[in-house]
Amino acid sequence: MNAPPRVALDRGDEDVWHLHLTGEWTLAQSDALSAIDRSLSAGFSGSDESGMTVRVEGELDALDSAGALRLARIVDHLEQAGASVDLGELPQRQRNLIELLKGRLPPPKAPRPPREGVLAKIGRASVAKFTEGNAFLAFIGELVVRGGKLIAFPWRIRWREVVAEIEAAGLRALGIVGLLSFLVGMVMAYQAGATLADFGANILIVNLVAIITLREMGPLLTAIIVAGRTGSSYTAQLGTMRITEEIDALRSIGISPFDILILPKIIALMVVLPLLTVFANLMGLLGGAVVAAYSFDVSFSVYFDRLPEVVDLTTLMLGLIKTPVFAIAIALVGCMQGMRVAGSALAVGRATTVSVVQATFLVIVIDAAFSVLFNLMGY
Amino acid sequence: MAPVARLIGIRNCFGKECVHEDLDLELPPGRIISLVGGSGSGKTVLLRTLSMLRHPDAGQLELFGENALEVGERAQRDLRRRIGLLFQGGALFTALTVLENVMLPLREHTSIRGRWLEELAMSKVLLAGLPADSAVKYPAELSGGMVKRAALARALALDPRLLILDEPTSGLDPIAAAGFDDLIRELTDSLGLTVIQATHDLDSIWRGSDAVAFLARKRVLAFAPAADLAQRDEPELIAYFRGSRSAEYAKLEASQPGTNRGST
Repeated sequence: MNAPPRVALDRGDEDVWHLHLTGEWTLAQSDALSAIDRSLSAGFSGSDESGMTVRVEGELDALDSAGALRLARIVDHLEQAGASVDLGELPQRQRNLIELLKGRLPPPKAPRPPREGVLAKIGRASVAKFTEGNAFLAFIGELVVRGGKLIAFPWRIRWREVVAEIEAAGLRALGIVGLLSFLVGMVMAYQAGATLADFGANILIVNLVAIITLREMGPLLTAIIVAGRTGSSYTAQLGTMRITEEIDALRSIGISPFDILILPKIIALMVVLPLLTVFANLMGLLGGAVVAAYSFDVSFSVYFDRLPEVVDLTTLMLGLIKTPVFAIAIALVGCMQGMRVAGSALAVGRATTVSVVQATFLVIVIDAAFSVLFNLMGY
Repeated sequence: MAPVARLIGIRNCFGKECVHEDLDLELPPGRIISLVGGSGSGKTVLLRTLSMLRHPDAGQLELFGENALEVGERAQRDLRRRIGLLFQGGALFTALTVLENVMLPLREHTSIRGRWLEELAMSKVLLAGLPADSAVKYPAELSGGMVKRAALARALALDPRLLILDEPTSGLDPIAAAGFDDLIRELTDSLGLTVIQATHDLDSIWRGSDAVAFLARKRVLAFAPAADLAQRDEPELIAYFRGSRSAEYAKLEASQPGTNRGST
């Protein structure tokens, strides 16, 4: 057992050669098998095989498709050179296997996927970006047309789906949004306090924490968490539904996926994001208060007494007014990326990544735009 | 010859629902066996048990003479190597091309590398009846029939001794299905395979297999060539084999008993 495969060429007679095979021609002997090709072509070199009869004989301990593939190659090589090969001495099953594989020999060079040059890649990427922008515009267009109709007939909105989405995106996000806002509030208070304490201006911690939290940190942090948590889940859900053809099934029943899947998500997020932001603001202020009280001698009562003096309703509103726009951007990107998924499980993963990156990017860009706008308006 | 696989007293339950109870089955080597039964009779569950993907709730599984449920991890790996499995939906890895799908088990279980690996994988792809240029395609670019063939190529990668096929011809047109049956027969004869296939395809049952294992009453109710099962008078077998559609095959079989390609 386990004798390596061997092949010996015997040029005994004038016109009949003997190819003597021994050993185990299997996958387990793959190293020896791959060496056989070389030794054999050396054995044949300098001889003329045309018109020869090559009789294959010998006893193989074992033959599997790997070994048979090697033999099929040898037989094919001999026949190409004009020799006739006689496999009659081998057992029927081994002969069948060799014949089967000989009929379907792989081409000497495995096919390669076509490779693209740099120019082609740049072109492809540009076109992809262009169509992406186009698709986004088309998506917004469809939203306006479909959504506009529903504003006229609000009883046609699928409220049950809206409520379910509100629960998933809002209620279930309270924990993470609250905790992270609290921690960021603490961090800001530490940083502000460390500097202000040098000037004995500890009390100004309240100004800093309150203004930054209400105007920027609360809305932005919440939007980014929601983009990562909810936006990505929208993409994954719709993408998977595309692959399992559920979206097509909805269409075939006569239900617009836009009405039942996408619009409820957008409406829900527009409701949820401002509410979550208010909650985040609260937790951020609380985090700041805890640090101010325990590290910088600004007691809770002083902190919360001072709060209404440094911020007013306008400050809160300036932060909140941005959030529905964030919500639309996040839901739109999440849904659009999901609906564009095609092909395989891999595409769902890729679309989810793109969705989170694009949503986060858009949120920050929109925030910056609002800042400039508010500045011009004098707030 | 010793059976390739042996199921003894198998019980498979989901909660309180049991699909198999005290089920026995032996697979003789070198045969193509069709696993037949109504929807929900546990064909797929049985194949999963046989391929060691599901641990039965009771009973013994013997593969190639070894007690597959009690051997160590290494031995189990060895046993799995000797089983090729074709999933109902193909279950090709979508991130890999067809050729890479076939190369994956070869690379994992053997020391073959480079050109020789590609050549060997390529020969399996061609053996499964796919054109050479489909080897660099991704599963998403293949038609249903090509997915089945690519999955077969992957199942054959390691020269398994037992090939388990879950509905290999479902979703194929009749001509492609017949071609698939012929291919399985050709491979069985030349590679010395043993095949068990769950199927609803009457063509596969009557012409493409040597014996039929009929699942009913939570066990293998009967195990015999299709023509013999058609003579039995259990109500389930009558319904299955003497229903209007099956009767045609039985008549054909009776008039020309040679058409069953079973004998080898």
